[in-house]
Amino acid sequence: MADNTIKIKINGFEVEAFDRQPLIEVAEKIGVKIPTLCHNPIIEPYGVCRICTVEVRHRNRVRMVTACNYPVTNGIEVFTDSERVIRNRKLIIEWLLGRCGNVKVLNDLAEQYGITEPRFGRGTDDCILCGLCVRMCQDVVKANVLGFFERGPKRYVSTSFDQTSDLCITCGACASVCPTGCIKIDKLEEGTYKEMPMGPVTPIHIDFMQAVPKKAVIDKESCINFKTGGCKVCVDVCEAEAIDHSMEAKEKEVDVGTIILSTGFKLQNGEELKEYGYGKYPNILSSLDFEVLNNANGPTGGKIFTQDGRVPKSIGIVHCVGSRDKKYHEYCSRVCCMYALKFAHLIKEKIHDCEVYNFYIDMRCFGKGYEEFYNRLLKEGVNFVRGKVAEITDAALDKSEQGKLILRAEDTLIGTVRRIPVDMVVLCLAIEAQEDAKEVSHFFSCSVGRDGFFIEKHPKLAPVSTAADGIFIAGVAQGPKDIPDTVAQAGAAASAVLSLIQQKEVEAEVVTASIDEEICSGCQICVGLCPYTAITYNKDKNISELNEALCKGCGTCVAACPSGAAQQKNFRDNQIFAEIKGILAV
Amino acid sequence: MAYRSHILLCSGTGCVSCGAFTLKETLKTELQKRNLQDEIQVVTTGCQGFCAEGPIMIVQPDGIFYCQVKPSDVPTIVEEHFIKGRPVKKLLYTGAAKATPIPALKDIPFFAKQQLVVLRNRGLVDPDKIEDYIAVDGYSALSKALTEMKPEAIIAEIKRSGLRGRGGGGFPAGIKWETCRKAYLQRNVEPVVICNADEGDPGAYMDRSIIESDPHAVLEGMAIAAYAIGAKEGFIYIRHEYPLARQRLLNAIEQAKEYGLLGENILNTNFSFNIEIVQGAGAFVCGESTALMASLEGEVGEPRAKYIHTVEYGYKNRPSNLNNVETYANVPLIILRGSDWFASMGTGDPRENPWNGSSGTKVFSLVGKVNNTGLIEVPMGISLREIIFDIGGGIPKGKKFKAVQTGGPSGGCLPESKLDMPVDFDSLTEAGSMMGSGGMIVMDEETCMVDVARYFISFLTEESCGKCTPCREGLRTMLDILNRICEGKGKEEDIAFLEEMGEVMQDCCLCALGTSAPNPVLSTIEYFKNEYLEHIKNHKCPGGVCKELITYVIDKNKCDGCHACTKVCSSNAIKGEAKKLHSIDTTKCIKCGACIEVCTKDAIYKE
Repeated sequence: MADNTIKIKINGFEVEAFDRQPLIEVAEKIGVKIPTLCHNPIIEPYGVCRICTVEVRHRNRVRMVTACNYPVTNGIEVFTDSERVIRNRKLIIEWLLGRCGNVKVLNDLAEQYGITEPRFGRGTDDCILCGLCVRMCQDVVKANVLGFFERGPKRYVSTSFDQTSDLCITCGACASVCPTGCIKIDKLEEGTYKEMPMGPVTPIHIDFMQAVPKKAVIDKESCINFKTGGCKVCVDVCEAEAIDHSMEAKEKEVDVGTIILSTGFKLQNGEELKEYGYGKYPNILSSLDFEVLNNANGPTGGKIFTQDGRVPKSIGIVHCVGSRDKKYHEYCSRVCCMYALKFAHLIKEKIHDCEVYNFYIDMRCFGKGYEEFYNRLLKEGVNFVRGKVAEITDAALDKSEQGKLILRAEDTLIGTVRRIPVDMVVLCLAIEAQEDAKEVSHFFSCSVGRDGFFIEKHPKLAPVSTAADGIFIAGVAQGPKDIPDTVAQAGAAASAVLSLIQQKEVEAEVVTASIDEEICSGCQICVGLCPYTAITYNKDKNISELNEALCKGCGTCVAACPSGAAQQKNFRDNQIFAEIKGILAV
Repeated sequence: MAYRSHILLCSGTGCVSCGAFTLKETLKTELQKRNLQDEIQVVTTGCQGFCAEGPIMIVQPDGIFYCQVKPSDVPTIVEEHFIKGRPVKKLLYTGAAKATPIPALKDIPFFAKQQLVVLRNRGLVDPDKIEDYIAVDGYSALSKALTEMKPEAIIAEIKRSGLRGRGGGGFPAGIKWETCRKAYLQRNVEPVVICNADEGDPGAYMDRSIIESDPHAVLEGMAIAAYAIGAKEGFIYIRHEYPLARQRLLNAIEQAKEYGLLGENILNTNFSFNIEIVQGAGAFVCGESTALMASLEGEVGEPRAKYIHTVEYGYKNRPSNLNNVETYANVPLIILRGSDWFASMGTGDPRENPWNGSSGTKVFSLVGKVNNTGLIEVPMGISLREIIFDIGGGIPKGKKFKAVQTGGPSGGCLPESKLDMPVDFDSLTEAGSMMGSGGMIVMDEETCMVDVARYFISFLTEESCGKCTPCREGLRTMLDILNRICEGKGKEEDIAFLEEMGEVMQDCCLCALGTSAPNPVLSTIEYFKNEYLEHIKNHKCPGGVCKELITYVIDKNKCDGCHACTKVCSSNAIKGEAKKLHSIDTTKCIKCGACIEVCTKDAIYKE
């Protein structure tokens, strides 16, 4: 028996417990359920509903105590359903019914204790003043938004001065612990669509079903702890003790022999195209927004809703937004046609009577089975309008356009300008190179083209290699492409890397440059010129130094070196001169 | 310079509100006019206790007691008393019976039966002058404690004296101090000493008077407690409604610091002690220990469960010794005169076991339907009859005594049959009331006991913090039922229902406010069940209080048609020709009672 273990009796049964352990815990351990309305294991006991009041006897002393916060001591005898306990409990339930007659938890308790009609009648309030929400907000979340106001029978729960509180972080913790469900969270008029349905449903989540590794992560944006420093309920309940809110992103140095650059892409910012009203009108989504909304693991469980919760009756999909457009990007983003067709198909599948309009310049259905899919959609009743959308507006010209988004476009097939009102618009925004692609290319001694994507060593013969040995590229970082192409390119890059690794050693260039330490004046002209970043400047010695493993023997530095410190191996000046001399001597 | 005579002018809140300060100025001017300012000194003192007769002055060395003195009486007093040397008869106390005037204070029955321990310096010292307090042995107990006694010895002495908490609970102070010191030594967390001056009971003003008349006694008691427990910090939690008391405390602390009796290295010893005054914001429940400490910490003043005692984990989780003003005020004398002396007063012999009996004295504020309302201090064990009839001078206008309410709003009402019961902690609790902090409200036959219960329950409903269900909902439903009974709409089962609710509240409420809240209802049902039944069954209010159940009637044989009542009736309900019998239109009558007051023939009565 450990030092702090004691023995108590509950309803005649002897139970072992820790000294000063809360009585309700001990009772629960042996399956004695004591009803309570204001207790939640993750919140400090409050002891206010008094329904858990039980009888405790010790040395001829009889006390009525609340089980939720009564610390047990050795030798006490507890009676959880003596006549007196039941009488008290019944009256408390009746009292609460007098305040909140229609609350389910109370009515369930009343039924359990045989109360048919409370003697005080039934009140119409929903809040039983258990204080769980207030304590959750103050003690756990530490947002201090909710509190009690007034006193005595007038007591009620609210925010300061009954006003919407700036302190509220809309974490919803209050509503989650409310036993009567009387706390409702109103959607604010602006911003909720962007924040709520697009972010993760809960701060702790698994990013997506195919995530590797499939582990839960904490969303810093919505996690209460990162807002208030409070909560940490997950830390308490995680048995593996795996949660650490103080973890930070760390920089790590890894020594490797080869590198594949697959830094991906970014979608063009829709707000750059003012005429399309992205960010201005609530129901204009980017293709990625729609992908999240439409996902079965997404915030709406894959159901398509407008921001105000309506099912859209018509949706416009605009192709080539920012692509094939001299104002933004001249190139074709390559994937939009096909995913736009996929969207149209899925919308039709989910909302049968929804009219879908595709606005396109040319349909580019170039892959295997792609053209067939396009033809299938034509039969499914998806509308195709050949023409670039000039603008999207909510300015209605007649009743049919009111409350809708109107797409204005020239239909080049019938030669007329059309106005098409829809409930929702999806913009197929251009695929862009990452903003820092240029910096990255410098860092890895490769280069980017005018469009910002990495340039391969040779477009046909070395499509995954770069000018720098051991550096490879794959995926959209190299140029817009769809998933099959990306996977194929990634496979090629991986095998190129593997073949290098397999060789265990690298063949270095025999003819490289060298820098004579004695002669070098440290002018650093060669450092900037070297296309392979093989030359670095040594500040201590005030000379330039050459890394022979990187040097390709191109001779640029040799030609540029003003003092003649840089020399090409086997092709030194005196060797050349000797060779000339030899030829001339014949 | 020696004065030949002193005028001790009461400056308690009662007398001040009757114009004591104006009187003081008038006296000084008058004395100056007669060139007596060097012979006669005017001293303002704390409350004399006989508030019903204010403003009060006592002329020493003769001990002549003047009451209800008005500024216009001043020239007469100076002329007659100080120049001609004879007491002014019309200002002497006569008593309710308007009998022979009693010139000397010690002969007045109101004072004769009192035994002054806590109020020893009332009317003797100027509360704003520490020199006065020191002159009557003030701070010699602190000096004795600091220089001659070990903390354990002080605790033993207090325990042996049997001093029980005067705030209402009656917990032996010595045991509390001992537990607090033990918690301090075990955990090595610095304890605090707190004085509860949040006196909120309606009609009770003992603590206010003690502070107003002798603030240094409280400070000295706290300093001794702090030394015994090991505290360096003290708080006085005083209600916002006591500005004069707070001012006197602030002044007293300032003076004590100047004299080295508070602050660092008191009396050149290693003991340092500072006191801070904290004002309550007016919540009655903040008189409860856990709520008080929550309020001190800056939290909402709501009580918490007491399964872990505040004496171990109180203010900021430090060991906290909370005693009432009167308890602290008793301490210096116990240290000075010894526990045997203190234990010899009151009931039982507490020297072996402090729970055995109630030693010492108790201060009560005697109010309600009694001739001599005021503040009294009596030995424990005195009977209620002695307090009400000897000291209090009985019921005014020859009415019959009905009940006395002790222990504040959560106390109970005791009937005539309990009048010979000794007043001590245990007897009062046994009778269904409690000592409380010492409020005592006397009620005569014209009081309705259901209405009294309703009044106290309504007060408590207002003051309940609403944290726990039984108190919040129980009081609300009790008040509903009592209102119904007072309106004549009660049902017979209501009484049993009230009793059931009362018992559940006693069992289940979170704090002492809730568990004692049903006392007014339960005690009135126990002793005055008939009145409840009268209301419910016969729709009559025996006390003639509940407006819905009474009607005003004019006695045919007495009314002489003088028209006095018709003039005051604000609702024109009384009709009648001059010199002829008047009648009251009951549909118009709002039962304000104005007619009864003006009728010279006692012709109007309630039915």
